[in-house]
Amino acid sequence: MKFKAKCLSLPLTLALLGAALAACRLQMPREPVKKQGFHMGTIISQEVYGESADKAADEVMKEIARLEAEMTVTKPGSEIERLNQMAGRGTVKLGPDSFYVLKTAVRYGEMSGGSFDVTVGPLVKTWGFFTGKARVPAPDEIRRLLSLVDYRDILLDEKKLLAGLAREGQAVDLGGIAKGYAGDVAVGIYKRHGIKSACLNIGGNVVALGSKPDGSPWRIGIQDPRGEKGSYVGVVKVVDKAVVTSGDYERFIEPEKGGKRYHHILDPATGYPADSGLISATIIADSSIEADALSTSVFILGLDKGMKLIESLNGVEAVLVTKDKKVYITGGLKESFTASGEKKGYEYIEKG
Amino acid sequence: MIKLHRIVLLALLVSQAMVLSFIETFIPNPVPIPGFKLGLANIVTMLVIFFFGFGDAVLVVVVRCALSAILFGGPVVFIFSLAGGILSTVVMSVLYYRMREMLSIIGISMAGAVAHNAGQLVAAVVLMGTLSVFSYLPVLLIAGLVTGFITGVCSRQLSKAFQKWRRSEGQNREK
Amino acid sequence: MSILKKGDLLLAAAIALIALAVSWSFKVFGNGDTARIAVIKQKGRVIRRIDLDRVTGSETFELKGDYPQLIQVEKGRIRVAEAGCPDQVCVETGWLTKRGDAAVCVPNGTIIEIEGEKSEVDDATY
Repeated sequence: MKFKAKCLSLPLTLALLGAALAACRLQMPREPVKKQGFHMGTIISQEVYGESADKAADEVMKEIARLEAEMTVTKPGSEIERLNQMAGRGTVKLGPDSFYVLKTAVRYGEMSGGSFDVTVGPLVKTWGFFTGKARVPAPDEIRRLLSLVDYRDILLDEKKLLAGLAREGQAVDLGGIAKGYAGDVAVGIYKRHGIKSACLNIGGNVVALGSKPDGSPWRIGIQDPRGEKGSYVGVVKVVDKAVVTSGDYERFIEPEKGGKRYHHILDPATGYPADSGLISATIIADSSIEADALSTSVFILGLDKGMKLIESLNGVEAVLVTKDKKVYITGGLKESFTASGEKKGYEYIEKG
Repeated sequence: MIKLHRIVLLALLVSQAMVLSFIETFIPNPVPIPGFKLGLANIVTMLVIFFFGFGDAVLVVVVRCALSAILFGGPVVFIFSLAGGILSTVVMSVLYYRMREMLSIIGISMAGAVAHNAGQLVAAVVLMGTLSVFSYLPVLLIAGLVTGFITGVCSRQLSKAFQKWRRSEGQNREK
Repeated sequence: MSILKKGDLLLAAAIALIALAVSWSFKVFGNGDTARIAVIKQKGRVIRRIDLDRVTGSETFELKGDYPQLIQVEKGRIRVAEAGCPDQVCVETGWLTKRGDAAVCVPNGTIIEIEGEKSEVDDATY
């Protein structure tokens, strides 16, 4: 009997050791931390895995709220509001975030030949999207405001972080790029917390960090532009990518109930909602600000010019849907894109 | 059997069990259910119950689980395999010592495999804090019957061989 | 069968029977994996949880806030029937029926979703 007691002591110690180790390990949540919040005029949801997921998710939410306060035109006292107020009268000092976003916006203005132009501010304001008092402006009013739209009138002083607008009445609206920037900032925060797996959705802008915890890629559904919410034209598998869509279906105004719909992406060339033949443009890229700016650019440019722009860039893929229900997919997505709208009449075409 | 002899034999059996667990990882899982395994190590547990007794069987199971957790898995794996291992050892021992007349080795093995799966499931419920994994229970019960039958057939052959060997061992010693 | 005793067969039959009974009870009573629980959240707080499969008849109730919303619940589905908000996105979302479905009202800060994961995708771009 004595022998037995001795013999049992070793495995018992081992068992206790194992249990202690297990207790430590179990504190690490294997379930993701999920947080939702309302910022930047939309819903933000996070799914974060890892030890400090909770902390990281909270910090991301706070940071997005901060960026919103800095960059939203309609927020009184925001840096961009001050920039617009000083239009034609001088420059204002910007924080590094706003300055970077504005600088990047100018770069995409050049790249898209002016199709992406953040100085559409006066037009956006007159159309009144998201205000509840939307209306279709008179043609001569649009013509007058169009003359104020020109990204080349954005003046930037990189050293002093000063920015200005050349002419009075001009206004910047970062709606097409600020959410994208917030996505990149969030990825930085996740990484700083040692997070290896997270998925962030800022009003449809998806940013996937790493892969899922089991090593498989994130499966991101691309909204069917003519289907009900939550139905997809296809699913794309991504690791460490941003997936951003611009479409004519998500936000629009309907001045007369049941009448013509006007979506919110204005073409800086016409002053009216872009009518390029595309009804949805999804961009998959490494950086979220790039994907955001490009999805808007391509949506306005249309299929041919848009495809050319994408093909001129490295590491950028796209899924473009035209009015006649054709879905164009860039060659780099051959392996990762799964069509799911054949039954709904979509036709899939691989490009490049 | 002298003490040293017994310790050496038990140690050998532990290593056998670990080798069997290792070999098992090469057999592709036909069913995509986490925790669905053939449970070859159960063969060793049965032999120890038959020839050494309940106490030694528990010992072998604990040492095996601890060692494989340290070598291959982690604490979570340890808890899972321990929960399954101990429960199946208890069930098989009770059946073996109380109901040997009614059950064959294969029957005991099936009961042990089912108990093993049930134990793991309970561990999963406790660790994950969700009852939803219980939906696996029916599948795991049936799976236990199948795997238990297979390992039971193995145990039956092995215990015959073991018996023969022990008899000859005894004769040798008498000489 | 010579290698099996009668008791073995009885034991196997008993276990198989238990397995059947358990799987049948899941079908009848449901379990966490198939239940459809609608969760209504406002400004981050859970206001109500409704087991959609246990709803009988039709119920409507109001969600107060900056833009009041009228929520309608029926067996197996829930929707925003009317809303005072300008964009009406939540109303146009229509009935929610599947796990993972959600209707969001940004102006009112509300989320109505059916708990659980969507199986076919992890997230969606729109």
